[in-house]
Amino acid sequence: MPQMGVSVAEGTVVDWRKQPGDWVQADETICEISTDKIDTEVPAPASGRLVEVLVAVGATVDVGVTLARIATDARPGEPHSSENGAPPPAAATALPPPPAGPDAPVAAPSRGSAPPRRTGGAGGSVSRRYSPVVQRIADEHGVDLDEVQGTGREGRVQKKDVMAVVAARGGRVGSATRAPDADAAEPVLHIESPYRPGAGASVSGPYTPPEGRPLSRMRQAIGVHMKQSQMTAATCTTWIEVDVSRIEIARRKLAITALPLIARCTIGALIEFPLLNAWLENDVHTVHEQVNLGIAVALGEDGLIVPVVRGAQDLSPEGLSRRIRDLARRARSRQLSPDDVHGATFTITNPGQFGSMMATPVIAQPQVAILDVEAIVKRPVVVTDQFGDDAIAIRPMVILGLSWDHRALDGALAARFLASVKKRVESYEL
Amino acid sequence: MSEMTYLRAISDGLRTEMRDDERVLLMGEDIGVYGGAFKVTDGFIEEFGADRVMDTPLAESGIVGTAVGAAVVGLRPVCEMQFADFVSCGFDQIINVAGKMLYRQGLPVNITVRLPSGGGFSGGPFHSQNPEAWFMHSPGLKVVAPSTAEDAKGLMIASIRDPNPVIYMEHKNLYRRVKGEVPEGSYETPFSARVAREGTDLVVITYGAMVHTALEATEDLDDASIMVLDLRSLVPLDEAAILSAVHDCSKVVIVDEANQTCAAGAQVAALIAEFGFEDLDGPVVRVASPDVPIPFSPTLEAAVLPSVDRIREACRQLLEY
Repeated sequence: MPQMGVSVAEGTVVDWRKQPGDWVQADETICEISTDKIDTEVPAPASGRLVEVLVAVGATVDVGVTLARIATDARPGEPHSSENGAPPPAAATALPPPPAGPDAPVAAPSRGSAPPRRTGGAGGSVSRRYSPVVQRIADEHGVDLDEVQGTGREGRVQKKDVMAVVAARGGRVGSATRAPDADAAEPVLHIESPYRPGAGASVSGPYTPPEGRPLSRMRQAIGVHMKQSQMTAATCTTWIEVDVSRIEIARRKLAITALPLIARCTIGALIEFPLLNAWLENDVHTVHEQVNLGIAVALGEDGLIVPVVRGAQDLSPEGLSRRIRDLARRARSRQLSPDDVHGATFTITNPGQFGSMMATPVIAQPQVAILDVEAIVKRPVVVTDQFGDDAIAIRPMVILGLSWDHRALDGALAARFLASVKKRVESYEL
Repeated sequence: MSEMTYLRAISDGLRTEMRDDERVLLMGEDIGVYGGAFKVTDGFIEEFGADRVMDTPLAESGIVGTAVGAAVVGLRPVCEMQFADFVSCGFDQIINVAGKMLYRQGLPVNITVRLPSGGGFSGGPFHSQNPEAWFMHSPGLKVVAPSTAEDAKGLMIASIRDPNPVIYMEHKNLYRRVKGEVPEGSYETPFSARVAREGTDLVVITYGAMVHTALEATEDLDDASIMVLDLRSLVPLDEAAILSAVHDCSKVVIVDEANQTCAAGAQVAALIAEFGFEDLDGPVVRVASPDVPIPFSPTLEAAVLPSVDRIREACRQLLEY
């Protein structure tokens, strides 16, 4: 079980992509694991034959525990050693190649040098996409495609597979699917009538909730972290209203979003107030010089992940923009490495794209603060010109919310930090 | 019925229709005294005379343009392009004059343009092309491409009788290689597709010389039941037959000898994607010549044209999908 970040102590095997006996290339994915920080794929450390899987799917083990053994002296096309009746070599990765001789494994009939194709069905990792004709036939006959054994490439379900299932059931399937229509005795309606007989009967009876499902691993992990933060930190939230006219001009010039520009201003304020760029673990207070900026990335309804821009203090807005885009893209395609998600010293969350106005974000432990960037909205505001005269102007405004840990700092510092961010944003020069 | 080559069947179709209908006349380069570059009209000038079997200058535009005029006054000319490749010199007369005359003037242009096409004999880039798609793209023309001796005669007669300009693709590599039983006398082959072999697991859709390549490639392929659909007519395209074959087989390989981009098979693939989607059990696979000129070198030409092996491999891959 590889180390997936400093604070991660254990991981769960989600799926084995390779089965014992399969040939694996170095860096080829052999299994998928899930930790409380990240879901990721585990690459093979060396080429060889997968001899033994030691941790079953669903099992959670500590970091450092051996997941599987790969026989590095095996060659593609040769039979698995167990097929010859020979005992699997212990600690096979460390073994020298066996001497050629009577004891050497008998070479199987040559199947070429290509690694054997993954066969379908095993491990349930086969892509379950269906062709249009397969879906249509399954719909027409009420076939559950998950139950159909595919004979196509990599276990793909072909038309003939689903036809075979239909044929095996005989004529019963067709009549069973048609029966409800006949029994319903649906009243004849004018074609344009808005009335549709609904499932009205169930309203009067007792409510039958749909069957519940276990919460996803990612949601469970998020839940644990958030509850732990709320129980640990003395969280307060302070808001400030900021005029982002200059950011809007700058982002159009640079063709980037407002986020990296606001992040740049925030980094400036963190350098000015390093007490907010800090960790508090029990009584240990670590103030960082380097800014490792966590950016919350939503993964649809699955959850969210917070990849980290390391050394963000050295990056321009364009550089931040590129890094954030790259991290977000990799986060959404589940390609983040463990190093991408740990070591954040401060976090920005940016849910304002949907128009929300204020929030009270939860601090990601062991950090001491998190900045929430809400929607940029045009508002009438009072502006004062160089002669001290007031006027009402239309300005793009945003509310920044800072949740901070009262154990590590006080409200005055939080307010000064926010004022610094505000000043940097409102006086932003390209 | 008598057995004859594809080439003799074309001659037979021309001769039958010329004997039945004195409005039919032939025009082309060296088709009279010499009997045609491929001897399709060998002996015709003796039987029908130089007025009906006209040797023309080397000017495809003049041949087609004269034929259009003759058709407008009521004759039924059949033009021979010595090689299909040379038809580009007569392109304007076919596309803009013959193809649009009915629409503009209400005058039918009953001409047939014979295009000896295709490669496979080291003819190189000017003597091996399959330009049928150029004409498919232009409204007002019909395009046919027989693959058997029987259809070669029947489609020749049907083309001469059809009141529209018809582009008649005759594959040079079939001329003497393909033989078959051909009915005596006059008959018309419809402008529709033909099932060259029944099957249920996969359908190969093709036309012309590739029908024979496809039949050979799929004759005994892992015990699979493979249909071969011979389109015969490209305009009009027999959409019902194509979609019916897709419905039955659900896996489709489309073979063109022509260069791949915008070939006839591209239209077939688009049709299936739009109207056969619900019947598909795999990607629509195309096998065609890459978008390069046809090489002189026999080795290179064999690598460019769709081969038995390439079609077999494409079918095998799709069957496994």
